[in-house]
Amino acid sequence: MSFDEIYNTYWQKIFRLCMGYVNDFDWAQDITQETFLIVWQQLPKFRNEANISTWIFRIASNNCLRQIEKAKRIPKAALPYDVREETTESIEPKLKLLYQFIAELQETDRIIISLELENIKQAEIAAIVGLSEANIRVKIHRIKEKLTIKFKANEQ
Amino acid sequence: MNSNIDFNELWASQKTAKPNKAALMAELNKYKKTNLIKMIALNLVLVATALFVVYILWSNQAKLLTTKIGAVLIVLAIVIFVIANNKLIVGFKNISGAESNKAYLENLLAVKSKQLFMQTTVMNLYFILLPVGMGLCMYEYARKMTLPGAIFAYTAFVLWIAFNWFYLRPRQIKKQRNLLDGMIHKFQLINDQLIAD
Repeated sequence: MSFDEIYNTYWQKIFRLCMGYVNDFDWAQDITQETFLIVWQQLPKFRNEANISTWIFRIASNNCLRQIEKAKRIPKAALPYDVREETTESIEPKLKLLYQFIAELQETDRIIISLELENIKQAEIAAIVGLSEANIRVKIHRIKEKLTIKFKANEQ
Repeated sequence: MNSNIDFNELWASQKTAKPNKAALMAELNKYKKTNLIKMIALNLVLVATALFVVYILWSNQAKLLTTKIGAVLIVLAIVIFVIANNKLIVGFKNISGAESNKAYLENLLAVKSKQLFMQTTVMNLYFILLPVGMGLCMYEYARKMTLPGAIFAYTAFVLWIAFNWFYLRPRQIKKQRNLLDGMIHKFQLINDQLIAD
């Protein structure tokens, strides 16, 4: 898979994962960009022994975990996003709530649920996170329960 | 809102504008170039310091061996500091970032702990080598001074070292330690989430 193909296939997915992790539009854009920087650098070293999707999601989620090191947020990405403002404002209230509730979860849970919502198979999530499939299944079940409760509580 | 809210559908509704491909490539190339320049600059500093040592050693300016040893120690201190500052000693070179989250966190924790130890050691080494080197270098020139002059020069020097050792050094070490300790603690907390059940 060429970098172009990866870029076109995964940009949205990676952005949503990052958004789920940090719940901040600009920050998520920055992490996504950083992730593609790493992908671009490491692509020549990538051997097909692992699934490319697993490989990319691992880099992205690890990069999210690394954000702790950046106590002070670096300023907005230098890239020109023509529709940045529009996209930030047009976010649906329900989606906003979903991000907010995910942001309240533990760090690893945020990654797990983001991958699940991205329709990644649980076996692959297990490979990305480094836990057993059974463990992931239990975690996803609990997280979804938590989210549903939060949505219901918010409704009342 | 019913209880069977479709999180997946909601999730997929988030769209973002992909940055223009050309702009992204320009950014990537800029990054590559900056890194290259940084590497060249670091190497230049190292080569320049090495040349400086050779110059001191072979020039006839310094007659005494103590001066030469002193110069070498000073340069050594600077080189160690530059290398450590550029994180060349314990970098993240052995962490690819493509391992599982669990393995990645464990690696990161190991590297951070090593970094904590290295930074303290490097700081101590720097604050020992530099004054010893300077003290040795001063000897040749102090010999040519009058006695009160030499006493004054060495008193000032000792005071300066004391300030470095008892004020600057602990402050620097504490600052770095706090930063790394905080990070290690947070990584540990995240790591524990994966062990909990």
